[in-house]
Amino acid sequence: MKQLLKRKDSRWLGIWLAGILLVGIWDVLFLNRPALLQVTAGFFNTFCVALLVVVFTLLLAWGFALALHFLDAGRNRTPYMLLTFALNLIRSIPQIVGILFGYVGVSALVEAGFIRSPVLIFSLLALSISLFVFIEFVDLLRERIAHFQKLDFYNAMRVCGISEGRVINFDILWKNSRIHILNKLISVFGAAIFLQCSVDFIISVGLSTDVNSVTLPATMGSLLAKIDSKQDILAIGYTLTHPAYAGNLFFEHLMGLTVAFLVVFTLMSVYHIANGYAERHRL
Amino acid sequence: MNRKLFEHGLSIAFVTAVLLCVLFAVRSGTQTRTKAEAASSQTYGNLGFVDFDNAFHKALLKDAVNIFYPDQYEKNNAAVEKILANKENEFSRKLQESGVEERLSFGKLLQLLVMLLKFVLVYAVVMILTYYGVQTIAVFRFTRKKLRSRETTRSFAGVLARVAKTIGKTAVYFVLFSPAYVIAYSIRTEFNTDTIVFMALLGVISNGLLVTYANKFYAFLVAESRKGYVETALVKNLSDSYSPRGPGGIGYRAILRPAKRFDGHVFGHIFSNARYQYLSTIKEQASFLVSGLIIIEMALNIHGHLSYEMLRQMLYKNYDIVIAIILGIFYVVKGTEVVVDMMGNRAEKRMENK
Repeated sequence: MKQLLKRKDSRWLGIWLAGILLVGIWDVLFLNRPALLQVTAGFFNTFCVALLVVVFTLLLAWGFALALHFLDAGRNRTPYMLLTFALNLIRSIPQIVGILFGYVGVSALVEAGFIRSPVLIFSLLALSISLFVFIEFVDLLRERIAHFQKLDFYNAMRVCGISEGRVINFDILWKNSRIHILNKLISVFGAAIFLQCSVDFIISVGLSTDVNSVTLPATMGSLLAKIDSKQDILAIGYTLTHPAYAGNLFFEHLMGLTVAFLVVFTLMSVYHIANGYAERHRL
Repeated sequence: MNRKLFEHGLSIAFVTAVLLCVLFAVRSGTQTRTKAEAASSQTYGNLGFVDFDNAFHKALLKDAVNIFYPDQYEKNNAAVEKILANKENEFSRKLQESGVEERLSFGKLLQLLVMLLKFVLVYAVVMILTYYGVQTIAVFRFTRKKLRSRETTRSFAGVLARVAKTIGKTAVYFVLFSPAYVIAYSIRTEFNTDTIVFMALLGVISNGLLVTYANKFYAFLVAESRKGYVETALVKNLSDSYSPRGPGGIGYRAILRPAKRFDGHVFGHIFSNARYQYLSTIKEQASFLVSGLIIIEMALNIHGHLSYEMLRQMLYKNYDIVIAIILGIFYVVKGTEVVVDMMGNRAEKRMENK
C-alpha cells in the first residue's frame, strides 16, 4: 500500500476515486433526488462515452498505423500519399469543429428516427470524437515502429522468417510499446472528457436546449449548461465578493458545483495520472 | 521544405475547392426549393391580385376556378385549399425567419472577414503568450527542481510551507484545468467577460493548455539534461549552478526574459535543444488553442465573434455562411502549420548542421 502511494499515478488514481466517493456521499446527503439522479446519469454517460473514445481511438490508430506502414513499404506510393494527405486534412480541422458537426449529424439521425438505441448513440458520439483525436496516436505508433525498425532485432527477426505483421503487432507495439500506448490512452481519456463536455455545453447553450435534451443523452456538459447549474456556478463569483456566502455553496448550489467539480477534478486527476505514469516509466 | 509547402498548398486548394462546391450546392439547393415553392402556388397563373386575407376574395377565387374548370368541383376545392395552406405556411415561415435567414453576400463576407481578423488577433496574442508562458513555467519548474534536489530541510516550518504550497498549487491547477466556460460563468457577475482582453486571458489560463504544454516542455528539459553532452559541457567548465542569486546561477530575470538566453551555463544548451523539440509540438498546441478559442466564443455566446456567428448560422441553417466561416478557420490553422514548418526547418538547419 505504501509502495502504491509512493507512485504518483497510483496516488492520483486513489485521490480521484476518493474525491468522487466523497462528492457522491455529500450529494446523497444534501442534493435533492431528481438532481442526484441527473448528475449520476450524466457522470456515467460521460464516463462511458470517454471509455468508448479510448477504445475507438486505439482501434483506429492501430489500423491506420499498420495501413500507413505497409503502404509505405509497397511499390505503389499513391495510396500511401493519399492516406497521408487525408490524415493531414483531418489534422487541420480544429477538433471542436469536427466533433460539433459529428454531434449535429448524430442528433439529426436520432431526430429522424434512424437510431434509437442508446448504445448506438453513445458509439456514434464516441466515434465522432475519436476521428479527431486518433491522429496523434497514429504518430506515436509510427514513431515506435520507425524507432524499432532501425534496431538490429527487427532485421534479425525478419531473417529468422518471422512475418512483418507479427514483428510489428506483437514484438514492437505490444511487447515494447505497451507502456507508451497506455500512457497515451490515459491522455486520450482526459481529452475525450474535455471535448465531450465542451461540445455538449456548446450544443445545449448555443444550438437548442430542447433538441439536445431530447435527442442526446445527458452528460456533464449538458448538465452544466442547464440554467440551474449556471446559476450555481454564478454563485461562486458572488462568493468572491461576499465570502460569508461560501457556506451556502455546498448546500444550495450543489448541482452545478458538483458537475463543475467532477469535470475539473477528473481532468486534473487524469493529467496527474498520465504524468506520474510517464515519470515512473521514464517515457 | 518545398515538399511540405507543396503539400500545404495542395490541401488548401483541395479543401477550398470542396467547400466551394458544397457552398454552391447549398445555394442552388435553396434557390431550387424557393422556386418549387413559388411554382406550387402558381397552378392557376399569377394570383398576385388576390387578397388571401379577404374571405370574399377567397370565395371569388373558388367560384372562378369552378367556372373555368367545371365538373371537377372536389379537385378544384382541394387545389384552392392547397394554395391557401401554402400561402399560410409561407407567411409563417417568413415571419419565423425574419432577421434569421441570411445569404452569403459581399457585405456579409466583409463582415465575416472583420470577425476573422479579430479571431486571428486574439489567436496570435494567446499563441505568443502561451509560447512564452510554456517556456517560462517549464524553466522555472526545472531550475526549482534542481535546487530542491540539493536542499534537505526537514524542519516544522519547512513542512508547513510545503503543505501551504501544495494547497496553493492545487488551487492553481484547478483554475488551469477548468474549461473556459466554468471560469467565465463563475466570475460573470463580477466582471465583464465579453471583452477581447478577457477572452485572450481565458485562452491562456483555461482548458489545461498552459499546464499541458509547460509539462511537455519540462519533460523535454529533463530528457535533455540526462544526455551525454551535458557532462561534456561541464568538463568544459560551463556553470551548472541553478541558484537564482550569485554569479553563474540562473536569475529570475533570465527566466522571465521573453528571449531566453543562458550564456555560459550548461542550461543554455539544454534549453535550446529542448526548444528545438518543442517546435514539433507547436502545431498540436496551435490546433488545441484554436479549439479552445472556438469553445470560448461559442460557449460564452460572445456576440460579433466568428465562432459565435458560426453557431448562430448553424442554428438558423444558413449553411453557406457556416461553410465560409469554416474555410476561414481552416486557413488560420493551415497558416499556422506553414509558419511552424518554416520555423522548424530553420531550427533543423541550425541544430542538425544542415
